Amino acid sequence: MHHPRMLILRRLSAGIDGLNDAIGVTIRWLTLVMVLIGATSAILRYFSRGLGMSMNLTPLVEGQWYAFSVIFLMGAAYGLNKDVHVRVDVMFERLSARTRAIIDLVGTVVCLVPFSIAMLWLSFPAVRNSWSIGETSPDPGGLPRYPIKALILVSFGLLLLQAVSHIIKQVETMRDNVDPEAGTSHLPMPAVDGAVADVPNERDDA
Amino acid sequence: MSDLWGPMMFCVTLGLIFTGYPVAFVLGGSALAFALVGHVFNQFDLFFLFAMPERTFGTMSNYTLLAVPFFIFMGTVLEKSKLAEQLLETIGALFGGFRGGLAVGVVVVGALLAAATGVVGASVTAMGLISLPVMLRNSYNKELSLGVISASGTLGQIIPPSIVLIVLGDQMGVSVGDLFRAALMPGLVLTGAYVVYVFGLAFLDKNVAPALPLELRSTGLTLLRQVILSLLPPLTLIVVVLGSIFAGVATPTEAGALGAVGAMVLAALNRQLNMTTLKAAMEETSRLTIMVVFLLIGSTMFALVFRGFDGDIWIEEMLTGIPGGALGFLIVVNLVVFILGFFIDFFEIAFIIVPLIVPPAVVLGVDLVSLGILLAVNLQTSFLTPPFGFSLFYLRGVTPRNIETTAIYRGVIPFIAIQVVVLAFLGWMALPTT
Repeated sequence: MHHPRMLILRRLSAGIDGLNDAIGVTIRWLTLVMVLIGATSAILRYFSRGLGMSMNLTPLVEGQWYAFSVIFLMGAAYGLNKDVHVRVDVMFERLSARTRAIIDLVGTVVCLVPFSIAMLWLSFPAVRNSWSIGETSPDPGGLPRYPIKALILVSFGLLLLQAVSHIIKQVETMRDNVDPEAGTSHLPMPAVDGAVADVPNERDDA
Repeated sequence: MSDLWGPMMFCVTLGLIFTGYPVAFVLGGSALAFALVGHVFNQFDLFFLFAMPERTFGTMSNYTLLAVPFFIFMGTVLEKSKLAEQLLETIGALFGGFRGGLAVGVVVVGALLAAATGVVGASVTAMGLISLPVMLRNSYNKELSLGVISASGTLGQIIPPSIVLIVLGDQMGVSVGDLFRAALMPGLVLTGAYVVYVFGLAFLDKNVAPALPLELRSTGLTLLRQVILSLLPPLTLIVVVLGSIFAGVATPTEAGALGAVGAMVLAALNRQLNMTTLKAAMEETSRLTIMVVFLLIGSTMFALVFRGFDGDIWIEEMLTGIPGGALGFLIVVNLVVFILGFFIDFFEIAFIIVPLIVPPAVVLGVDLVSLGILLAVNLQTSFLTPPFGFSLFYLRGVTPRNIETTAIYRGVIPFIAIQVVVLAFLGWMALPTT
């Protein structure tokens, strides 16, 4: 009943989820890094002012928002997988699993994927330009700009990947929630007898 | 014909948000679709879209928004270090001897938690779990107990350092420090009004909120020790964080970073700084950061395309043309925000609606800081109003089944009335002085 093609897709989806989850649990440490850099720069600024010294805090100040940027740019796809992105759920939470899967599938295909492609297309020239001139911060002691700008592309690339995984999972949810035979026939099937209809989909214990 | 694109885009996008698909991507996708269709009909110049990379980069390097993850980190660490639990026990013991004391304790702890964490859901949940059983066991009136918990737990919206105010400051282009300063008074007035209401009620009817029997109170040195141990550390943190902002020594962003470190120090003193606490704080902070910033990126795309269709001009003409000038504007805007607040989260309102109402407010001479405070109190009221208020859901989630939902609704009504009075006063303050 299940084509090997389905198995490959399922593995692909699990692989993408695994990649983005690994990224997600790594980048969360940057919140702590960000807090420590922020506090250090606040204290140094206070004391350097009090002592009448001038201290170049640009690397610290920029380091803060670099960490901030890495968190949300690299974490966006992880967030999609963990359903972090806020929904207006007045209606959504009352819907059946199948209807939700349809909404998620359609939304991903008509909103998320085109938006991500557009962001890649729009940002590419700016990033290429920044990269080719080796753009750095305009402030003395500032950090190089081109790597962090390139992360915009990485971010929407990862989102596109996660969208693929999302689509595979939603299609599966839709199939699982109609009836187990839906995989072989798309015709509406009369409910035969409970015993057959209740047989769960074979799990691929891969 | 061409005037219809803006209104159409606004209505369609708002409708699509209600499908329940993540708002950030609905905004981005819908804006893109309208841009392409508008381009085909020669109504939209795709050149507008090329501002997106620069805008995204602007969000990445936004110094004000950095304060949001800092305060979330601080709040989560404090929450995981059992701050709310200890505060509730201590304050309960301190005030429990008076009639209405437990309920006043809830108000005071709600205000303290608001100043320390600013995360609404957490405060309502903690107080619903800890204070509600104590109050009910001591034959407190059910409605009063439920109402005081939801109202006090929601104070974090207005009492600084509120995340709501940080985001509003960023979106309205006013200083977050100014907003914090301006919010302090209304926050304290609300807190005070709740206290007066509870004590008044307990004074008039001795069965509503009876005093705790003597054997349940700790007294003397034990109590003093308890107070110092649990109250002083978070109070110090609050004073240092807010004090440094108000004194102009630190920016809200710096104060947030220091507060987060301070929260870790407090947790360590409480022997609660372990891997579980830290991981929870890091996970919560990164998730909220991802959510908020991507919502902002989606909203930016929406705003760019909406401007391309002159939608902002449509909104401005509509809002400045309301009869009654500034007063009419404030009434309409507040009604819209109040109703939207039932269904959509604060962040969506801040990123989609607020940028649109700032230009007409400026035209009409409305003071932006006062408008920001007004919106924050308004949303707080919206969060409390049955049947959709978010705080009521949080409380419902932690109350026993035998307490009916309508009791929660009846309980919050007096507190909503108090807020409406404060809201009207703030609205009057926001009117241009002529």
